[in-house]
Amino acid sequence: MIRYAFYFLAACVAVILEVTWLERLSVGAPVDPLLVLVIVVGLLHGAEEGALVGAGCGLLQDVMTGVPLGLGMLGGLGVGFCAGLAERSIYLENVWLPPLAAVTLTLLWHALWVGAAALVGWVHASVFEVARTAALGACYNGSIAVPIFHGLRRLDGALVRLYERPRS
Amino acid sequence: MSPSSTARRRRFVLLVLLGVLALGVLTGQVRTPDDRRIGWLGAALETVLTPGAAVLARASGAIEQSWAFLQEIGRLRTENARLRAENARLREENARLGAAAQESGRLRALLGFKEQQPYRTVAARVVGRDPSHWFSTILVDRGSADGIARNDPVVTSDGLVGHVIETGGAWSRVLLILDPRSAVGVLVERSREAGVAGGQGGAALRVTYLSRDAEVHPGDRVITSGLGQIYPPGLVVGTITGVTRAAGGLFQEATLRPAADLDHLEDVLVIIRGPRGLLPR
Repeated sequence: MIRYAFYFLAACVAVILEVTWLERLSVGAPVDPLLVLVIVVGLLHGAEEGALVGAGCGLLQDVMTGVPLGLGMLGGLGVGFCAGLAERSIYLENVWLPPLAAVTLTLLWHALWVGAAALVGWVHASVFEVARTAALGACYNGSIAVPIFHGLRRLDGALVRLYERPRS
Repeated sequence: MSPSSTARRRRFVLLVLLGVLALGVLTGQVRTPDDRRIGWLGAALETVLTPGAAVLARASGAIEQSWAFLQEIGRLRTENARLRAENARLREENARLGAAAQESGRLRALLGFKEQQPYRTVAARVVGRDPSHWFSTILVDRGSADGIARNDPVVTSDGLVGHVIETGGAWSRVLLILDPRSAVGVLVERSREAGVAGGQGGAALRVTYLSRDAEVHPGDRVITSGLGQIYPPGLVVGTITGVTRAAGGLFQEATLRPAADLDHLEDVLVIIRGPRGLLPR
């Protein structure tokens, strides 16, 4: 429970940063630390937690950023679930894991997000425009993934050791 | 059934349940695109988190000033100590006065516009922006405690900005006219030709339903028509930049550049709407 309270706090800080400072810094695509948080939770704790945290963080992002409700929830759900599918089959110490996971899953997030928005008729963008935005966003998220991954992993490990029974 | 297949099944059920929930929330808004109900929990979250956003937005101004000052010091290092100190002092003072003059000019223009308005207005500061590439909303630091309600029009001295879609005690979210969910009833000022200006998610609006024979040219100013019960008539929306007429089409369309600088909004005026329409001053 403490771990989820920590995730909620981290998500609130990330979304406030997104609508204030990062909105000014990002050019052409959003920098999204909240998505990186979802990816890290999925990688560390599996598909179920990844999906739950992803859907929750996505909904929080929808509420706070003013986009139609459900878009971020769907994207976060897909990304958290897919990140969690790799939980048992990846080597967490690999230095390339955080940026590669962030780049790949950010591309997936853009595909889900724009796909759902296009499906209900709110986004009419060319494939090139979508690809350009997704690639830029993936580069941004890939570059912030390393510190977020290692910081969250340490804190997360400490919280699991302190408040939860070790996972078998 | 083995434990691993049970886990797989549980995982799949969770994914499907959450996916259906997300799609349900999303498609629920399709019928009424600008009717975005976040519920009491969402409103409470915004009420708690918006002051934090406001503090960060103000702090970023101070950080930008400090950053500019540090850059100045780096450049002036090549000059002698006295000139460097003098230069830094003058530049700092100049920057401060320039910023003050800019702000004063902006506020004076806003005040002049406010005085011209026959309606009651509330000045608000922009404290947050939707970071996504495809939609356009802003967060302002005035809310229902100041009399702001849903569908209140928002303007600057340059022209129309949008309308309020959500409001709480000390915050409101404004849907900009550039957002694809926005549609404004407009008139071409010169020819009085009516149309509907809608956002496309880019930097320009598209005016549709202009009659095929209408005299519409690039450079024509476009104002609100007052139809649609959100915007009062006569507010400047923007300027026509191009006109297209499809062969065999019943209508012609035009692209419109917004009059207000929607990428650099800092202060806005919210026109207050009472229960029986816009309130007089």
